[in-house]
Amino acid sequence: MGSKLQIDSILRPEVLVIGAGGAGLRCAAEICERRQDTSVVVVTKVYSPQKSHTAAAQGGMAAVDPNDPVDKVLYHMFDTWKGSDCSSDQNIIKKVCESAWEQILWLERRGMHFSRTEEGRIAKRPFGGHMLNFGEVKAFRACYEADRTGKGIMDTVWAESLKHGVVSLNQSVATELLFRNGRCIGAIVFMEQNGKFVAVLAKATVMATGGKTRMYQVSSNCRQNTGDGLALMLQAGLPVMDLEAVQFHPTGIVGPGILASEALRGEGGILRNKDDEPFMERYAPTAKDLAPRDLVSRCIMTEIREGRGCIHADHKLPHVWLDLRHLPEHIHKTRIQEVCSFFCRFVGVEPQSQLCPVTPTAHYQMGGAPTNEFGEVQRDAQQIVPGLYACGEFAAASLHGHNRLGTNSLLELITMGKVVGKRVSAYLDEAEDPGNLPQDAGQHIFGQFSDYLETQGRGRYSEIRDDLRILMTAKVGVFRNEQILREAIERLKELKERAGEIELTSKSLVMNQSLVQLWELHHLLDVSMVIASGALSRKESRGAHYREDYPERSSEFQYHTLAYMTEFGEVTLGRRPIDMSIFEARGEHYEKFGIIERKY
Amino acid sequence: MSQEYDLTLKVSRYNPDIRRSWIQVYRLKAGRILRFVDLFQKINDEQDSTLAWRSSCEHGQCGTCGIRINGKPLLSCELLVEDAVRLFKTQTFTVEPLTVAPVTRDLVIDMEKAYEQVHFVKPYIIQPAPEHPEGDEYRISPRELEAYVEATRCINCFCCVAACVTQKNYLGPNAVLANIVRLMDPREMAKQERMDILYSEQGTPRCRTARACSFVCPKEIDIAHFIASAKEGNLK
Ligand SMILES: Cc1cc2nc3c(=O)[nH]c(=O)nc-3n(C[C@H](O)[C@H](O)[C@H](O)COP(=O)(O)OP(=O)(O)OC[C@H]3O[C@@H](n4cnc5c(N)ncnc54)[C@H](O)[C@@H]3O)c2cc1C
Ligand code: SF4
Ligand code: SF4
Ligand code: FES
Repeated sequence: MGSKLQIDSILRPEVLVIGAGGAGLRCAAEICERRQDTSVVVVTKVYSPQKSHTAAAQGGMAAVDPNDPVDKVLYHMFDTWKGSDCSSDQNIIKKVCESAWEQILWLERRGMHFSRTEEGRIAKRPFGGHMLNFGEVKAFRACYEADRTGKGIMDTVWAESLKHGVVSLNQSVATELLFRNGRCIGAIVFMEQNGKFVAVLAKATVMATGGKTRMYQVSSNCRQNTGDGLALMLQAGLPVMDLEAVQFHPTGIVGPGILASEALRGEGGILRNKDDEPFMERYAPTAKDLAPRDLVSRCIMTEIREGRGCIHADHKLPHVWLDLRHLPEHIHKTRIQEVCSFFCRFVGVEPQSQLCPVTPTAHYQMGGAPTNEFGEVQRDAQQIVPGLYACGEFAAASLHGHNRLGTNSLLELITMGKVVGKRVSAYLDEAEDPGNLPQDAGQHIFGQFSDYLETQGRGRYSEIRDDLRILMTAKVGVFRNEQILREAIERLKELKERAGEIELTSKSLVMNQSLVQLWELHHLLDVSMVIASGALSRKESRGAHYREDYPERSSEFQYHTLAYMTEFGEVTLGRRPIDMSIFEARGEHYEKFGIIERKY
Repeated sequence: MSQEYDLTLKVSRYNPDIRRSWIQVYRLKAGRILRFVDLFQKINDEQDSTLAWRSSCEHGQCGTCGIRINGKPLLSCELLVEDAVRLFKTQTFTVEPLTVAPVTRDLVIDMEKAYEQVHFVKPYIIQPAPEHPEGDEYRISPRELEAYVEATRCINCFCCVAACVTQKNYLGPNAVLANIVRLMDPREMAKQERMDILYSEQGTPRCRTARACSFVCPKEIDIAHFIASAKEGNLK
């Protein structure tokens, strides 16, 4: 069987972008705007880049409008730093927050359909953790396109990529990164529709494969978010950073985990427990329902654990209520229509007259591939990998540290996508040609696929997938401790072994979804192992990473976790310092950027 | 409360390896609020791992999962079992791919050609209007936006294309709609080019205003209304 697998053809664009969501295509557009006629090939798992998961983002994109009389970029920087629990990098915070408005204008001028004020300007709404005057009152900072902001962004960058003639390999997966003398020179791509492997050799490779939370039972992420990009990095011996920081969004629709945007609380929605109590007042007297996500998720889980939650009749899962009944008709009709329709459609609830059942849902990875402020992927805390770049949710520069604020992700995609595009453009002018296909190109993925296709055994894909989800939710979820993390790591080893015994019914290479799903399952297992190991080593609570046995943040862990894993279960950990350049510059209000308390 | 249904799914299958098509019948039990994508997953998990189908966001935002159930084009991630039983008054369903593209395997179709129609109408701004004299964003009043904002909600699921009564030499309702969005967008200056696309041989002259598109659109966009207004030169 193995002998049948071969590279069918070679493509030689100047740039390869793996992942065609908001980040990947913003980057591609920047390259094409700077260097007309640059050949760019993008790869996506879905059948058109337009279907990428960015299209599902709802609430908004943060940016301080310089015309705003009360808001300041400095407040945005402070909120991001505080929200991250003092573990984001201040050089990145500065870069991203300062260029936010410029990037809103980039999108608007290229046709994004932002919602408008009466004066015809871009409208803004409040979002969790975004405040004026260093945390005093909520700020109107999230620019939005109704409740489909991500779709607006996706449509815009996708259309721009068409305009510039970017070529897209759709329904295809990058399966192996290619290197020569430590420099990345492209990747092997498997095209599902015809079952063929293509080698893409490029001067520069940009990874923008998005998130990965499909290893949890309740997740807001699309089916394709299986951590492929992270697994490719690990296989190449490269590190991943802060994977223990997984964001659980407080309000997933009970059951499928579909996100009920924070915009609902931004517009005035209130969380209630089974006794009708607006319980957030008790935990966060100032920010209340708009406290940061990690905090709200823990509050909801605490309500549930202490018996003040409800059990959903159909899904048999615990939840609390989100109350939207008091919001005015026009808000229901114009600003949150799409999200409210999810409750009607998927759980049969009418939000204008009924309470909506919600529960925390695995939502976002704060960590990812470590990069410097130019989006160059790092080999360790000091060195970069020439030719390899990363941006978007996949990358950790890091803007979010251990907790991300709502609307800061879309902002990061667009700003860092641009930054990487600029950097790549400059690199292209001096970079050498990638040369010939390396001798051993494809050997790794051919080995994997042959194993999958030849294995005879009794492992059942669906059982292992479900066991993994239950395990990660119970032991590496919102609350963690030493004992359950150790158990999780042992169980993951077992699951990995069982995954090696799965026999495929169909041995075809053409649109064989069970083959690709098995490949994805291995990635989920690999990434889960790194999440659990990072969580075990971080004996403190910081942002979304919460240890019941170490409930406080500790100065001992004031660094980013780097993790390497070339053999399953053999995780090597390293550190990267946290950049505190705003604090160190000692400018006005620098003291706000020290190691500060995080209270809401 | 959580009622179970006994369902029969008659699924169109195609195996490209041996070029064979057939109808396969699956029987399964399912709770009332499972979606059709959940049913396909259940079939993969419990009965047949080889059945190929496609989805992504699984909550009606990306348009990946368009399919025909008892002939009706819809999003399989939005159709709940109890709604399907109510809508079609049966517990037996035929499940077929959309007719807009050649079948790759089972319910998965090759969308490259179909999507080219949307690329053809240039969904971007061809020629941007000059900046506002005071800088920053263009000023667009909520009322101006209101006139076309519904049309911007299209997710290119191609359900309307599958339902459209004009199947040949036509850009298709979604592509025509994308062109109309930019015709109405005050930031677009290339109105003549847009009009040429609109009235080209493959454009609105092919539309017979039968409204089949509007009836199936999962985003409830009144596509036919937009197209009819455009035909009459009456976009506002
Ligand atoms: C429901 C939801 C709502 C959200 N709302 C907001 C919000 O209001 N504000 C905000 O700031 N953020 C929000 N977020 C977060 C934000 O949308 C995401 O972080 C962001 O869209 C990720 O964009 P991306 O470009 O990095 O990745 P994606 O858009 O996920 O794109 C990843 C791309 O990589 C491709 N890919 C993956 N693996 C491979 C592979 N192996 N080979 C080839 N291609 C591959 C995919 O097919 C896709 O094209 C939300 C997220 C979700 C899930
Ligand atoms: S109204 Fe026009 S576009 Fe719509 S279905 Fe009829 S012919 Fe097709
Ligand atoms: S107009 Fe409606 S039915 Fe047609 S592609 Fe767009 S969303 Fe789908
Ligand atoms: S899977 Fe995205 S619309 Fe159905």
